[in-house]
Amino acid sequence: MAETPMVNLTIEGLAVQVAAGTTILEAAKTAGVLIPHYCYHPSLPVAGVCRMCLVEVEKAPKLLPSCATTVAEGQVVHVYSEQALEARKGVLELLLINHPLDCPICDQSGECELQDYTFAEGRQDSRYREPKRFDPVEDFGGDVMYVGNRCILCTRCVRFMEDVHKDPVIEVQDRGDRARIGKAPDNDLTQAWAANVVDLCPVGALLSKDFLNKARAWELDRTASVCNGCSQGCNIVVETRDNVIMRYKPRANDDVNKHFMCDEGRLNYAWLNRPDRITWPQAAGAVTGWEGALASAATALKGKKAYVVVNPSLSNETLYALKQLIAKSGGAGYFSVVQGPEAPLPGVADLAVRADRAANATGAELLGFTRSASPLAKLTASDVLVLVDVQLSDADKAAAAKAAAVVVIGTALPQEIAGAAAVLPMTNYVEEDGTFTNLRGRVQRYLQAKATTGAARPAWYILSDLLSALGEKSEYFTASAAFDALAKAEPAFAGLSYDTLGLRGATIQGAQVTA
Amino acid sequence: MAIKVKEVERPISEVSYLRATVSGLALTLKHMFDPHKVTTQYPEQRWDLSPRWRGTHRMLTTEDGKAKCVACGLCPTVCPANCIKLVPGEDEDGNRYPLVFEIDEFRCIFCGYCQEVCPEEAIHVGRHYENAEYSRDRFVYDLARLTSQTHAVCEMWDPADPKGE
Repeated sequence: MAETPMVNLTIEGLAVQVAAGTTILEAAKTAGVLIPHYCYHPSLPVAGVCRMCLVEVEKAPKLLPSCATTVAEGQVVHVYSEQALEARKGVLELLLINHPLDCPICDQSGECELQDYTFAEGRQDSRYREPKRFDPVEDFGGDVMYVGNRCILCTRCVRFMEDVHKDPVIEVQDRGDRARIGKAPDNDLTQAWAANVVDLCPVGALLSKDFLNKARAWELDRTASVCNGCSQGCNIVVETRDNVIMRYKPRANDDVNKHFMCDEGRLNYAWLNRPDRITWPQAAGAVTGWEGALASAATALKGKKAYVVVNPSLSNETLYALKQLIAKSGGAGYFSVVQGPEAPLPGVADLAVRADRAANATGAELLGFTRSASPLAKLTASDVLVLVDVQLSDADKAAAAKAAAVVVIGTALPQEIAGAAAVLPMTNYVEEDGTFTNLRGRVQRYLQAKATTGAARPAWYILSDLLSALGEKSEYFTASAAFDALAKAEPAFAGLSYDTLGLRGATIQGAQVTA
Repeated sequence: MAIKVKEVERPISEVSYLRATVSGLALTLKHMFDPHKVTTQYPEQRWDLSPRWRGTHRMLTTEDGKAKCVACGLCPTVCPANCIKLVPGEDEDGNRYPLVFEIDEFRCIFCGYCQEVCPEEAIHVGRHYENAEYSRDRFVYDLARLTSQTHAVCEMWDPADPKGE
């Protein structure tokens, strides 16, 4: 690859060196200067329509839009010069002419770029005295609602649907002060990735119907996580209020999902708030403490083969502990993966809702579990069935009755397993720390976003205790230590740790990086 | 060792209790006929409260009796005592409306920030001080109670002189 020539310039008195071809706006970001902007978005083509990113460049005849101007050698850029501030103040005043200022009832309030930049650089009052334009609220279909009054016509949504989703169903309709975002007739925003327009909208014009009037942006606690809806492993932010998940938002990761996530994953959080959880460890149908239930599970497993059926959305740490359990007892591990239609996002390379609707099928395969459509087929009467966070189909229920004993580690109790030797409540994935391996072999961390219900513990912690009860030396007390043990034992994960993974993940040894 | 008690010679005016008793009775008698009264005869007589008096809250309503609140969440955000509980939701028309709006008047420090921050002029602190209840939980005022109260509300500032000059 040819070396990209570097360019030196000065932004707000700071010396900056960036690759040739970078825009002034991106160069300023590297210097820690955020130039206000609306229509520019790093994952969309440049439009240059909002005029909010105007900056003063020495020796240029007039102000330049920094999102559309590439850097040049020796350029001197003034972001906060009197002329640039005056121009941006004028842009803001014009944007606010028809903006309704209904911030108290607007869901974007608190994370609105119009609020932020008006507060930073705008006028304190409006000189406009005429009545404001009125556009009715329109349902765009899917999860999207359009509040025309609030729109500032930055066209981020139009460019997303046209250039990234390649399904241009929305456009700017009418001209001048009547311009608004319009939808092609009979075309709802029901495409697989359409709800990203809600995140892209810098104001409250495009809103999520699911999140409508549910919470204020500043009340939410945000935790970095990974979506477990499919094997793509999009990076997300889990947003909670009072220990209840309110919504998912995509988290930027240029190696996986850019700034996007699919609608299916975005709305796939309600089950994590479910109240009907197993809250207390049970042994033979009676509620016991952890010690009694673990002892009961250990007694059932002692000397028998463990036939392990797992949910392919379990963490690498849990699957590794199960692998140790299988290795000790000479058993086997199986999983089945729910399949769904694959839905790619055409404008981004290697980004799709994957057919495997589970987060960690790759990790399960790497750790020696066998993919099978009927995971209980090979169960024999001498095996102890260990079910980890799986719901059984009717055919599987009949097969499960064959086992010598059943140990359930799960979040919600399937009624048919009432006679299990031990039922051990585990946390679901937003209640624990862990890692998933996506289909390209990228190991990504997710962090605990909410407290768990009852006495539930992370599955790797339960299994660590269970292995200790069976005489195996397996003691770790943090997810990080569990992952270190995994990295030490498995060559594929060699050299990885929570520190090296960071929040963007790292690829395992010998992984196929692209499709 | 014998204990000695010191005997004090007092003037005759201080020896008897009679003189003090009579002078006390004389003062009482004097007040009976004195026209200058200090005691306010509560509850028949009441003080005039300042227009800026900040007492227990009241939620103002629209003409059709619904609370003006749009559940914007500014009052629980600004409240320094964290005494306002708000769960936003929608009313039957799909407009933003509080599903739960509760003020714990025991926690409230009556700073009046909620009234000052409210963009809809819905929540107000009241010119009111008679708050006795038979149980502690009655001091958590819910939306129905806040809207049904009728006492006058705080003016915060003089409309003729908003800057206090």
